[in-house]
Amino acid sequence: MIARSFVEKPDSGNTQAMSLRELNRRVAALLSVPQLQNVWVTAELSDVRESGGHCYLELIDKNESTGIIDARLRGIIWVSYFYKISATFAAYTGQRLSTGLRVMVRGSINYHPAYGMSFVINDINPSFTLGDVERRRKEILMRLDAEGILDLNRSLDWNTPALRIAIVSAKGAAGYGDFMNQLYSNSSSLKFVTRLFPAVLQGERAARSVIEALDEINASIDEWDCVVIIRGGGATSDLVSFDNYELAANVAQFPLPVIVGIGHERDVTVLDYVANVRVKTPTAAAEMLIARAEELLAHLRDTASDMLMAIKAKISGCNTQLAYLEAQLPVAPVTAIERKRLRLDAATASLHALTAGRIAPQLAQLDQMPRAFRLAIDNLLARRRDKLASYTSLVEVLSPMATLKRGYTITRIGGKAVTSAHAVTPGDKIVTIFSDGKTESIITE
Amino acid sequence: MEFKNVKELTYNQAVAELDTILRTMQSDNCDIDSLAKYTRRASELLRECRSRLTATDEELKKILADLEK
Repeated sequence: MIARSFVEKPDSGNTQAMSLRELNRRVAALLSVPQLQNVWVTAELSDVRESGGHCYLELIDKNESTGIIDARLRGIIWVSYFYKISATFAAYTGQRLSTGLRVMVRGSINYHPAYGMSFVINDINPSFTLGDVERRRKEILMRLDAEGILDLNRSLDWNTPALRIAIVSAKGAAGYGDFMNQLYSNSSSLKFVTRLFPAVLQGERAARSVIEALDEINASIDEWDCVVIIRGGGATSDLVSFDNYELAANVAQFPLPVIVGIGHERDVTVLDYVANVRVKTPTAAAEMLIARAEELLAHLRDTASDMLMAIKAKISGCNTQLAYLEAQLPVAPVTAIERKRLRLDAATASLHALTAGRIAPQLAQLDQMPRAFRLAIDNLLARRRDKLASYTSLVEVLSPMATLKRGYTITRIGGKAVTSAHAVTPGDKIVTIFSDGKTESIITE
Repeated sequence: MEFKNVKELTYNQAVAELDTILRTMQSDNCDIDSLAKYTRRASELLRECRSRLTATDEELKKILADLEK
């Protein structure tokens, strides 16, 4: 019957038209079927906002490959359900309902003649979201890992000391105040230098905003030792914006160590995996930085006290040595002399022992000497005498006297022997020597 | 041993030199003549390292005043 009324006399001027109100009423009636009541739906949340205690949102589906929204429906959680649903959801997932989350909700299609179609939500299955968030997180982590950048920031070495801190936080945020108070009220008067690089840390713009702040820090990278990303602690807030590949990749590849303290207790975002340090609260981030610097101070203190001990030990060692030397001074010469004397005595004694055995045979040998000498001399003399005797007889045979005796003479002129008749001329006076005298003659012919 | 100006050292270099001096002092071949020289150098290094870590009261007041703004 309804179908007929739509097609009835389409071209005539007096068509029976229904009011829009009526049309919408009919649509509403058509939609109020059991198949559209209390059904479970999975969708992504978008444009989540609260007003008058009610929660208004968009349920969307995106094409998995293109990311283009290909289904959309307005959703409402009335205040009577919203309190319970948001509490359950927060308790289970550690998050509040926010844009970007995938949820499984139960509700009914409602068609309001004035406001159109919407999905009135009356229950939620938080474990679906948890699973979905976890799955997406894993995907991001796997991608970072595959690209080889997952551990880059975590394995960065810290500057020593790390006192110059670039802070990414929302201006005026409670977390920023907590951090600064904690940092500058340290008892060691540590010399921290900080600068705030303001960013939005809530909602859809968070990832982009933090990346921009990081870019700004990177422009003056030499001025900083580390980066702290903090936001107000306490209230459970939307973390899904931090499970963002672009942001995680930026943090992972940032050349300075990044500390993340985005104020949540139970859940861990991708950012917590890639950052160098993850702390629960901004205050904890400050405490960590203070602890690092105080460790250096403690090391200095230890070194100083070790040095003092070493110096004291050295000086006291020297004093002990001096005292010993002092005590030795009067005694030393005496003992030295005594020691020398003892050594001399010992040397003498050993000399005695050594010589005693040797002298006796030497003496005995010496005793033998005179007789041996005498014998040797006697022999020598005897041999000499014999030789002399034989020489004498030879001399006797060879001597001119013997020849003269045998009747020979020696003729001399002027003392020189004449051995040739030609050597004399008449008138020469010659001396003729006989064995028993000499005569002088004049040569006549 | 020639000492570099402490201002030209990095924090790590200064601490490393402190450790070396300490080890030398603790070893047997450190004579009493060098002790004064080493001690003077060590205290200079310690002072420099501390001054890099900690702010004076004056500096702290300035930082806190900046925060108040």
